Amino acid sequence: MDQFYQQLINGIVLGGIYALIAVGYTMVYGIIQLINFAHGEIFMLGAYFAFTLVNFTPIPFWVAIFVSMLFCAGVGMLMDYVAYRPLRNAPRLSALITAIGVSIGLQNLARILWGAKPQTFTDDTLPTIFQQISPMKEPKVFFSIFGVTFTDAAIQFSENVSLAYLDLTIIVLAIILMVSLNRLVSLTKIGKAMRACAQNRIAANLMGVRTNQVIAITFAIGSALGAVAGVMVGVRDNIGPTMGLHKGVAAFAAAVLGGIGNITGAMVGGLLMGLAEVFGAGYIDPMIATICHTIGLGEFYDSEKISHSYGSGYRIAISYIVMIIVILIRPTGLFGKASAHRA
Amino acid sequence: MRKWFIVILLLSLVTVWGCQPPDKNTEADPQGDTQGDQSELFVGVAGPFTGTAAAFGEMIQRGAELKAKEINEAGGINGRKLILSFGDDAGTDKEAKLIATRFATDKRILAVVGHFNSSCSLAGKDIYKENGIVALSPGSTNVSVCEGSDWTFRNLYRDDFQGTFIARYIKTKLTEYPSVAVLFDNDDYGRGLRDAFTAEAKKIELNMVASEAYDRENTDFTAQLTSIKGKNPDIIFISGLYGEAALIVRQARRLGIKALFFGADGVDSPDFLKNAGASADGTYLTTPFTFGAGGEGASKVAAAFEAEFGVAPDTWAALTYDAMGMIAEAIEKTYNKDAELAINRKAIRDHLASLDTPEEGYKGITGLTYFDINGDTVDKPAYVKVVKDGMFTTAPIQMTD
Amino acid sequence: MQILDKVKNFIFKAKNFVFKAKNFVSKLQENITPKTLVLCLLLCIFPLLTYGTDAIASLFSNFNIFLPIPSGDYLIYISIQVCVYILLAVGLNIVCGYTGLLDLGYVGFYLIGGYTAGLLMRHAGVSYWFVVPIAILNGALWGLIRGAPTLKLTGDYFAIVTFGFAEILFRIVKNEIWLIRDINGFVKEIPRATIFGLELNKNWQHYYHILILTAVVIFVSYRLEHSRIGRAWIAIREDEQAAASMGINISKYKSLAFAISAAMGALGGAFLAQFWGNLSAKAFEFWESILILCMVILGGKGSIKGSILGAIIIGSLSEVLRIVLQQFPPDFAGSRYLIFGIVLVLLMRFRPAGLIFKKT
Repeated sequence: MDQFYQQLINGIVLGGIYALIAVGYTMVYGIIQLINFAHGEIFMLGAYFAFTLVNFTPIPFWVAIFVSMLFCAGVGMLMDYVAYRPLRNAPRLSALITAIGVSIGLQNLARILWGAKPQTFTDDTLPTIFQQISPMKEPKVFFSIFGVTFTDAAIQFSENVSLAYLDLTIIVLAIILMVSLNRLVSLTKIGKAMRACAQNRIAANLMGVRTNQVIAITFAIGSALGAVAGVMVGVRDNIGPTMGLHKGVAAFAAAVLGGIGNITGAMVGGLLMGLAEVFGAGYIDPMIATICHTIGLGEFYDSEKISHSYGSGYRIAISYIVMIIVILIRPTGLFGKASAHRA
Repeated sequence: MRKWFIVILLLSLVTVWGCQPPDKNTEADPQGDTQGDQSELFVGVAGPFTGTAAAFGEMIQRGAELKAKEINEAGGINGRKLILSFGDDAGTDKEAKLIATRFATDKRILAVVGHFNSSCSLAGKDIYKENGIVALSPGSTNVSVCEGSDWTFRNLYRDDFQGTFIARYIKTKLTEYPSVAVLFDNDDYGRGLRDAFTAEAKKIELNMVASEAYDRENTDFTAQLTSIKGKNPDIIFISGLYGEAALIVRQARRLGIKALFFGADGVDSPDFLKNAGASADGTYLTTPFTFGAGGEGASKVAAAFEAEFGVAPDTWAALTYDAMGMIAEAIEKTYNKDAELAINRKAIRDHLASLDTPEEGYKGITGLTYFDINGDTVDKPAYVKVVKDGMFTTAPIQMTD
Repeated sequence: MQILDKVKNFIFKAKNFVFKAKNFVSKLQENITPKTLVLCLLLCIFPLLTYGTDAIASLFSNFNIFLPIPSGDYLIYISIQVCVYILLAVGLNIVCGYTGLLDLGYVGFYLIGGYTAGLLMRHAGVSYWFVVPIAILNGALWGLIRGAPTLKLTGDYFAIVTFGFAEILFRIVKNEIWLIRDINGFVKEIPRATIFGLELNKNWQHYYHILILTAVVIFVSYRLEHSRIGRAWIAIREDEQAAASMGINISKYKSLAFAISAAMGALGGAFLAQFWGNLSAKAFEFWESILILCMVILGGKGSIKGSILGAIIIGSLSEVLRIVLQQFPPDFAGSRYLIFGIVLVLLMRFRPAGLIFKKT
């Protein structure tokens, strides 16, 4: 059971990251029906920018995240202004090609600027609780309450279930940002304008909404959230020019799974994709083993005639299978409304 | 108006880039030069300089550049300047084929160092063979890269030896750690190494409790690590490359896994230490050579590399450096300026093929290299290193048999 | 009497056929302008031209003068690659252009064709000419399999399912070692196609081979576009509900589009398997689908000419950039794909509806 809880935590952390990226896709899609393929690259730029700041300036980490958000918001708006705005009235798929072009361009620009080698935040640039944990040292216990022990390494729920402070931060950040985004869209004036644009851009414009401004702000918010995800992935894993490729596509799938254009959908979709991936990797093999043993193929299984790493080998594919099944059952995603959009 | 805008934009881009100073004339394109000069010798270098494997391509390019620079500073090969022509295969079969065709049909390129990805080496194999030009790979590990072609060689050894070596080392020398789990890269390097390891583990009855795969495009390995943690192994063998190994070690420590980590030569890189930080402490790994302890030559090259490019070299930079050296040596010994291209190319091949005994072998910074009948490198001896306080140190117990 | 009727009927049919054929030929004659004739001739003697330049270059190289022109084999290799992309783009255009569905997983069919052909030729020793129809049928079958559950999906939901489908196929090829018989989807030493015992292993032979295949695919696609089927597809694209109410069987025509498009992709894959001689999973990554999609949209959705033009531009752009950039300082060579991206953005910026588009 410990293992299950641990996998649950892993899945939620990964899901939180996917959700933060997916929101960027879904917001842009909701307003201009564009699959912004370059969003994965914004995510990558956010990580690189924070990395450069903490390494070459005395700016502390937390401020660097904030600056990186602002920077990515700027990049997002610039991207909209330079690449997408001229295509506003063109066929919908033309802007998709532009987005792919921007994505290839930014990815290679990053490679030229920062080098191809993946880099990581070193310990001296990070807050103490994010630093690497040496296996040689016994963790220092701060205090424990209701059986939950807080050490300098992680929060221990039991002997085998732990949550690192970094992962906790990712979850908390994701929740805070999502809730505030939800409030922003449903309560403020700009949120209202966004929803109006999503419903009917021309009508909104006629009613006095400055649509181009609203679209620019949408790009800015989506990019800022992407930047946060980028920095957190950079700290947790590493930063490379191609980091946006895989995560970006998975997050896009999450956005579609939730019903593209719907912010709540993106959050739930992201979480679902993360959980599917982690539980797939963790539980497919034991399942196959159990099935083989119960139907009398135990010897066949043990003889290694078949691969014993189905779960981990098909890890990302499992989340796509879940996504396909959900979409086939609900053809407009989990929270999507039926729409007449065509390619 | 719009057309002019494009033209001006493109022109300005070209000028901005064109104004940058050329890079120390270690490279030039043979097809770009109109003035052919027999005092120059051309060698092609193919690797993934862009795309998802670009990190390795970068090191290959630098290793080759450093060697060419050293050769040219020492007066070139028999007084002729060595010029490298770089071909980017982007890590894809498609472009590898194109680059192979380009190099093989070029009238001046004598030999090729490349490719990195096994799939790219396999893609180019037939083309090099048909056109009769040597391809010396510094990074392709798949078993059949060299089989069936006289023209392909590689100077890194096959995975079988190391996998076997590590299994035996764990069984005989690390007796206080009885159970092992394997976490392998779902690619040819990781799988080959893991297959050799498991085969030997079965033979010597090493207790293997889990075997999990991961994909290189992923950066999150917590799910696999949690499954492994459930089996409670004493040692986790990472059958993969240093980039992912660093992430695995970090994520494992965050999950509270205390097991010992063991890696092969793919993990042997200064970047592993840099990226894994304190988490890397106590990690064991095997290596064919050590920049610190592998002789004076190796450390001198490492210092020169760092002075030139600002980063420490990794295994592939060193292997490319040696591959370049081997090709240069072959050209030095065989080049005949009056002979036709095909004859010169053949002479290089024959020279490389003649390096088939330890006495004949090429002594480079990665140790002694000599080839078997296929063009595969015969096993180089392996050393065991251990990470201590953020440094690689030679492990207290070595295995010498 | 009945026999007489039958004979009459037959004569009538034959006359009708001759008439149709005459009509077709005269139509063809109308369409053949000097421009197209020159183009066809150029395409046909292209290998001759490249080998000519090769001969000239080698003549000069005897005097130690090296002309800055790429070698003939290299140029032909690029042309073969471009031809394969034309074939794929025209195939994808059927789903993307005619029925108007966004397909992000076309590479899946390319993969199926490639592996069907590669595995059968390598491990079962089947001749290439038998393998091609098998690969086409297998591709069409998988097109139907993928199509059946997705008939009701629209827009991006369809797109993401197709993407997921291709990704799963990619993982299967990478992981199922018992099926592929090697790791990483490697199929090695696939035999080449043979005609009367003659092995087609020269680049110019491959060139004519793919030229014929591409011509067939373009012809089929052209005839389909101007038939009842093509009109039905376009009706579905313009308004699915209106088309249904006019009596068009949506499921039937959509499935047909999926099957034909998939079959063309598989044909491309089968050619690729024997042309390359070895396959690896890496050649069928997600990015390849995107590239083919770019060709279709860049050229102008729903237009065969557009798909061809798009495939020529995008299929050769990275190599053209390589040749051009090598004339500049080496630092510039690394920015090949940066410029690739900028060119895509600029092309779309100035021709937002595609290079060749039809007004509807």
